[in-house]
Amino acid sequence: MVTGPTQDEGGLVSQADHLGQSLRVAADARRSRRTQRVRKLVLSLAVLVVALAVWWLVTALELVQPLYLPSPAAVWQAFVESNTCRELESGRTVCGEQNYYMWEHLIASMQRIAVGVGVAIVLGPLVGFLMASIGWLNTALEPYLNFLRALPPLGYIGLLIVWFGIGNTSKYWLLFLAAFPPIVIATINGVRGVREDSIHAARSMGASQWQVGRHVILPATLPEVIGGIRIAVGFAWTTVVAAELNAGIPGIGGLAYVSGQQLQTALTIACIIVIGLAAVALDALLKHLGTLLVPWYGRA
Amino acid sequence: MSFTLDGVSQRYITDSGEVVHALADTSLEVPTGQFLCVVGPSGCGKTTLLKILAGFLRPTGGEARVNGSAISGPSWERGVVFQQANLYPWLTVRKNVELGLKFRGVGAAERRETGQQCLDLVGLSGFEDQKTYELSGGMQQRAQIARVLANDPEIILMDEPFGALDALTRERLQMDLLQISRERRKTVFFITHSVEEAVFLGDRVLVMSPRPGRVVLDEKVEISKKYGRLLPGKELRSTPEFVGLRDLIAETIYAGQAPA
Repeated sequence: MVTGPTQDEGGLVSQADHLGQSLRVAADARRSRRTQRVRKLVLSLAVLVVALAVWWLVTALELVQPLYLPSPAAVWQAFVESNTCRELESGRTVCGEQNYYMWEHLIASMQRIAVGVGVAIVLGPLVGFLMASIGWLNTALEPYLNFLRALPPLGYIGLLIVWFGIGNTSKYWLLFLAAFPPIVIATINGVRGVREDSIHAARSMGASQWQVGRHVILPATLPEVIGGIRIAVGFAWTTVVAAELNAGIPGIGGLAYVSGQQLQTALTIACIIVIGLAAVALDALLKHLGTLLVPWYGRA
Repeated sequence: MSFTLDGVSQRYITDSGEVVHALADTSLEVPTGQFLCVVGPSGCGKTTLLKILAGFLRPTGGEARVNGSAISGPSWERGVVFQQANLYPWLTVRKNVELGLKFRGVGAAERRETGQQCLDLVGLSGFEDQKTYELSGGMQQRAQIARVLANDPEIILMDEPFGALDALTRERLQMDLLQISRERRKTVFFITHSVEEAVFLGDRVLVMSPRPGRVVLDEKVEISKKYGRLLPGKELRSTPEFVGLRDLIAETIYAGQAPA
């Protein structure tokens, strides 16, 4: 085909035009995404500011006694004191609270969660896969799994202490028992949710049962397993106070409990906020890890 | 590879306890290298038949055989192209295409070479390392076809593989499929809703009736034989033989759907 110079030029011009247009569209899309993000951030901050203002107002007007609701400033002070050393009137120097800085309490709790949830992350998917693929095993174990899931950790911590002592072992067990069922159940649901055609396609490509498990069911279940781990970690945070009720120092849950009993309400609130923030941060990390591990989730 | 259906029938029980007769006694002999197209309304048992041949479903009556021996389960020798692409999103396009060879223990170098050939064939060169979910629907379907071809199965079972494609891509893939099946003497079982496609592709066309599915028309397509050469698509479609057969098939389908 012969193309004249004018045609060629026309093609170039329209191509450049087209490129410019799509660049503009992309820039617009980026800008509108950014405005949206800013808007969301402003909303979140506004809610936080309003909540703090109401809190401050209630305490400044002395509507509630400081023992019941300390002011934001008192909570902040308790937080700072629990992370620094201070000299008492007697001349003695005290560091942190209950002989540990608050961050040491937090790390002690996180270590317990890491052990308890860590074992659940190893065993949960394994048991889940076995239960999902072996019918009689599922029939045999499922009622007990649901039974365990329904138990409040506070209810059986006493029993665990009798069995495993008052040290860390009983705390590990409690956190493990809290984290285990959600991971197993998520894994079972994941395996059951694998599309039949995905398995059929692999079988008709020559995959053995083992290869189907390794190359199809395992990766296909990963999003649900990660979801289960997120739920389990969240649940472990709610359980950590129960785990640290007895001999829980150092431990952020133990500190929250002990300070409450000693009427240091400002410190209790500081602990609660720290627990909440740590849990949210850890969940955000896991969520990010999830999108790295299963980038296809929700898109395929 | 040839296959035979010997009085195959399929019944199943729905969740509400109803017995559904999906496939009536069906007997069929398909020789090696035949391109068999199956048309019929939804629920006529076409897909049931494909699942039996693939080994996903055991017939409740009769026997399905490949080269004389009964089908006992899926095998790589019977490749399946599904309606939906069914690619694995955790693998790249290339790894998806090479997967069958990997399952069968083929070495990495040979996998790569065969996989690339098949990707080139379906026009996916340059998309090898893409994520599957970044491809358009048509490209995903082409990747699935490449994945099945890479395994070089003797029998290719296809369930409306081109239904979701645009006209241009469909025509190109139809030509490629015809060429591959002829060159390598593949036996093809091809389900479609398009009468035109069936007559264009098939050496033989089956029409099936609604539930319980059974074969109501079994016609050889011998237009190319009559003209002594392969006619290009446009020319073929305007021959009186093509038009006649197309109308006969369409009428048979409509007649089958009319209330008894």
